Amino acid sequence: MNVSSKDAGHLSDTADVSQYLTFQAGQETLAIAILDVKEIIEIEAITRVPMMPDFICGIINLRGQVVPVIDLARRLGRDASVTTKKSCIVLVEVHHQGSSQFIGMMVDEVNEILEIDEQHTQPPPEFGTDIRTDFIQAMGRVDERFIILLDVNHVLSVSDISALSQVVKQAKAESLTTQDSDSGDASDAS
Amino acid sequence: MSEESVHHIFQTEAEELLVEMEDALLALEDDPTNQELVNSLFRAMHTIKGAAGVFNFNHITEFTHPVETEVDLIRQGQRTVDSNLIATLLKIKDHTWALVESAVDGDGSLSNALYETGEALLQELQGERSVAPAAKANTATSSVERAPESSTSNGHSRANPIEEMFAHDFHDDDEPPESDGRMDSDQWFISLDFQADALRNGLDPASFISYLSNLGDINDIVTLTHRVPSLEKADFESCYLGFRIAFVSQASKADIEAVFEFALDDCTVSILPPHSKVATYLKQIEDLPELESLRLGDILLSIGAVTKAELERALNLQSSDENGATEERKKIGELLVEQKVIEQPVIERALKKQQKSREQSQTIRVDSNKLGQLINLVGELVTSSAAMKIVVERYHMRDADEVVAGMEHLVEEIRDHALQLRMVQIGDTFSRFRRVTRDVSNELGKKIDLVISGGESELDKTVVEKINDPLTHLVRNALDHGIELPSERLAAGKPEAGTITLNAFHDSGHIVIEVIDDGRGLDPEKIQAKAEKVGLIEPGVTLSRAEIFRLVFEPGLSTKEQASNLSGRGVGMDVVRRNIEALRGSVELDSNVGKGTHITINLPLTLAIIDGFMVGAGHERYVIPLSMVEECVEFNNGDWYEEKGQSNFINLRGEVMPFVRLRTFFQVPQRQQRQHRESLVVVRMGRHKAGFVVDQLFGEQQTVIKPLGDIFQHLKGVSGATILGTGDIALILDVQGLLTLAGNQHAHHSQAVVGSEANEHTEG
Repeated sequence: MNVSSKDAGHLSDTADVSQYLTFQAGQETLAIAILDVKEIIEIEAITRVPMMPDFICGIINLRGQVVPVIDLARRLGRDASVTTKKSCIVLVEVHHQGSSQFIGMMVDEVNEILEIDEQHTQPPPEFGTDIRTDFIQAMGRVDERFIILLDVNHVLSVSDISALSQVVKQAKAESLTTQDSDSGDASDAS
Repeated sequence: MSEESVHHIFQTEAEELLVEMEDALLALEDDPTNQELVNSLFRAMHTIKGAAGVFNFNHITEFTHPVETEVDLIRQGQRTVDSNLIATLLKIKDHTWALVESAVDGDGSLSNALYETGEALLQELQGERSVAPAAKANTATSSVERAPESSTSNGHSRANPIEEMFAHDFHDDDEPPESDGRMDSDQWFISLDFQADALRNGLDPASFISYLSNLGDINDIVTLTHRVPSLEKADFESCYLGFRIAFVSQASKADIEAVFEFALDDCTVSILPPHSKVATYLKQIEDLPELESLRLGDILLSIGAVTKAELERALNLQSSDENGATEERKKIGELLVEQKVIEQPVIERALKKQQKSREQSQTIRVDSNKLGQLINLVGELVTSSAAMKIVVERYHMRDADEVVAGMEHLVEEIRDHALQLRMVQIGDTFSRFRRVTRDVSNELGKKIDLVISGGESELDKTVVEKINDPLTHLVRNALDHGIELPSERLAAGKPEAGTITLNAFHDSGHIVIEVIDDGRGLDPEKIQAKAEKVGLIEPGVTLSRAEIFRLVFEPGLSTKEQASNLSGRGVGMDVVRRNIEALRGSVELDSNVGKGTHITINLPLTLAIIDGFMVGAGHERYVIPLSMVEECVEFNNGDWYEEKGQSNFINLRGEVMPFVRLRTFFQVPQRQQRQHRESLVVVRMGRHKAGFVVDQLFGEQQTVIKPLGDIFQHLKGVSGATILGTGDIALILDVQGLLTLAGNQHAHHSQAVVGSEANEHTEG
């Protein structure tokens, strides 16, 4: 993403420098464009929403507004993240069918804001990463290592997530019936 | 106020008037002599014409003026109302709306197509007049010549109609002015009273009069010289003259007024239209827009029944009277009558109008966004008052208890009133279908009556707006597929005309809307066959009646062989269901072959704030809409049947009902040993009852509904979230969706079980 030199602040004179927020998720350093970030908040009570895919942690109350939160690591196909003191929620704004919506990403730790020159970014490799290619906006080189720059509009695509939730529901429905009746037995015994 | 917003108001008003006009037209079909309906037709055209004139929307004025003239003929009984005329007027109504839209959105120019349509419609309208009694034909030609006869026959000596018209201007004696309304000639009466400064300001009275002759013929002109002072006192640069002109013209009033546009500052112009005088006044009073605080004088002045000078004179008289006995102060109307300036009936009508205006002024128009903001704020208020209650309870502040209770009560009232503001009657939505019914039945050659009942039932405006499309679809289906052709109906032993009934009523916090037709009905077997064909269901499955009819709402199922231009493309009913479910409502269909179809829509009254009943499952909290909660019983009451692979149902006081255990259904993570005191919440949806087994009951709770957002759009069983006083979130259950989901799961399961054990099909 290109930003004007004014947005990039006093740190650089060239116009091709963008700022990225780096964070840890699933033992990996990832980054998103700083302009996508609306807010970083502590993890408070997250209300679980039943019958949704596992990567959806639930919803939170953001000053009277209901905002969904997803577990970024799980969304990227990793193990579920374990909530620690350092865990926090990065709020981003995504666009869907002409309207914008806040979505929270639960990450393990927020690191720093990095400047990456556009010249130091590369398109994602066609294979070799275990993250879906369309989630990756680009690879950014920082001090001889590469950081994956995520495309939030794909990672947090509303239509993608809501479609996934439908599939999950079917699968859960199958597994649920047995559990349902199991607990029924238990309550009979009580 | 910006021009745009003023235009917007014009557009809204025009829309309302046109809807009113359409309603009147459709009602006229049944009751062609109803004068009230004709009046409302006239009012619509007249008001739109007037308003369009204000904004210089000339295309509208030009179109509506001749229409108004024709409608006026109807009003006077010169034209009879028949179905052709109504058809034309309906088209005219549509065209007027097209003109309004093009005027408001466009740059003021008129597209050729619109112009031609308009011309054609006017031709059609005027051409049809030949059908009507020819009586009116001579009115156009009747002129000033007839007037003297009428006045002489009336016993008056004055030969000049103008003098008669303005009798009081000439004679300050007791001679009563013409009041029998016989001045039925087709001429305009124009009175010009130039002020003293007129000449000094560069106005030349003669040039106006000569310009006037471009518009028509000046039949007579009388110069009033009574203001001319004696020679010694006269200022020769001042104008003392007044003119009374009898004028024959086809021009509109606005056109004639335009002649004197530049003179208005220095000249009192009053233009009295043709036709009988008193009747005109009366009508004009009726047609006045109902504005706030109309004064009697203003009413009379605005219709030209009195001139400004007359009014001022009367007002002066009134205030000088005041010095005497204040209690005996005469009303302006009485004074005017006393002054022989105006007739008693005119005053009476004007007073009535004034009364009506005052009543009307008690409603105000408010931007619905502002109401939305208010309701959002009330929602926040509800949440924060709940938060306050929690704090007060936590610190055991006894003194504050009462205050909190009082405030809670007030907040509840505020909430109810705020929501009430957005409530509208569903009747308006219903009556729109009269037109649709009429058009469609004509097009298809069917005879269909639309019966509307329960139109006074109220529901939230946002719901009304969103229900319109699905409802249209259902009504069109009934019109198109439901009702048979008259011949088929007769052959089936039914009355020739089919009936579609739209009904609405309130039922436990919901509104129920019914669309009922007595048409050919739906054949369950055909539906099942079609569903098998398109692959919706497995061939040979046994389905219950209700299940089969539920298939109608699945995508891709239309039983009509041939799609018409109205409906039948098989893309409709699933959209209907989706739209209704998006409103947290439900739709059911029942049908009997040959007897008709009965569709029931169940909708919540509002989308903003509801009374909820909060329950706990594990450590999670859920809110059930209170309106659906029937009762709560302890879990161990009654007989429970929970067997592996079989239905979960309970025999509660002899009634068998299914139940869902929320904790297991939602897979609530277990934190501690399960408590053994569960409760059963019995919910009711229409005729069905079901139970939810929960761990805790928290009781009633005002619930502000927060949408969950698009990510959860496919989530069934949860309709929203609410923020509790503690700041935590509770999910609001969509009872219907949840039970359907539970039912489906159960069906899946039992099918799987039975399928594996034996090759039989179970009925779900």
